[in-house]
Amino acid sequence: MSRRAGETILIGDGIEIVIAHIGRSRVRVGIRAPRDMPVIARELKLVREENHAAAGARPVADWGGLVARLEAAPQVSACPTDKVIVRQEAAPKN
Amino acid sequence: METFDTKHFGRIAFEPADSIEFPRGLPGFEDRRRFVAIRQEPAAPLVFLQSLEDPGLCFITTPVLTVDPRYKLKLSEEDREAADLASVRRPRIGKDVWVLAVVTVRETGTTVNLLAPLVINVRSLRAVQAVMRDSAYSHQHVLRAPAEALCS
Repeated sequence: MSRRAGETILIGDGIEIVIAHIGRSRVRVGIRAPRDMPVIARELKLVREENHAAAGARPVADWGGLVARLEAAPQVSACPTDKVIVRQEAAPKN
Repeated sequence: METFDTKHFGRIAFEPADSIEFPRGLPGFEDRRRFVAIRQEPAAPLVFLQSLEDPGLCFITTPVLTVDPRYKLKLSEEDREAADLASVRRPRIGKDVWVLAVVTVRETGTTVNLLAPLVINVRSLRAVQAVMRDSAYSHQHVLRAPAEALCS
């Protein structure tokens, strides 16, 4: 199916996709869909799933193997951890 | 100082001003907005991003430049706004923003999300998990052992 700017595609009765603008390297589309049908970019779904997978991991005692795979840290501060004093005041719970 | 009881680190103490705020949360964790960054020496340069709303939620992250020293940051306008960077067209890593990639440890191997790193405004500590625009970065970039990297 080929469409010009301003033209519309229908999917079933409930979904309308308008080609709003065609730029040099990206296309802006307008999507009208039923409320119970979330509309998101595919990347966002991948990131959501990846975050859930990542959150399941727990810190372990030996980081050597993982750290060995990283490049030497460049000479820029990585993040405000040096400022944040986070103390371990109690033994980790299980 | 404020304290918070975490599942993995026990009780932590931090200055409230040093907490990191994600106004939109993270994809999949939209209602988790406040975090602190924890570094423990044996695990350096890894950074643990601990939620201040969920004791059990902690992301393992690494500065993106430790995975790819030539990493190119390309933010959408929307993401720049979320991290208080509306006026900074091209934020520089380490100067304007800290950029951390989320690490996923699986039994099958360890991957790093280079597609959507955590971008933290160094001045306001406002942050966003930003999907890079027009990039070929993977959300599951495989971390190879140094020996494997040499063979390829």
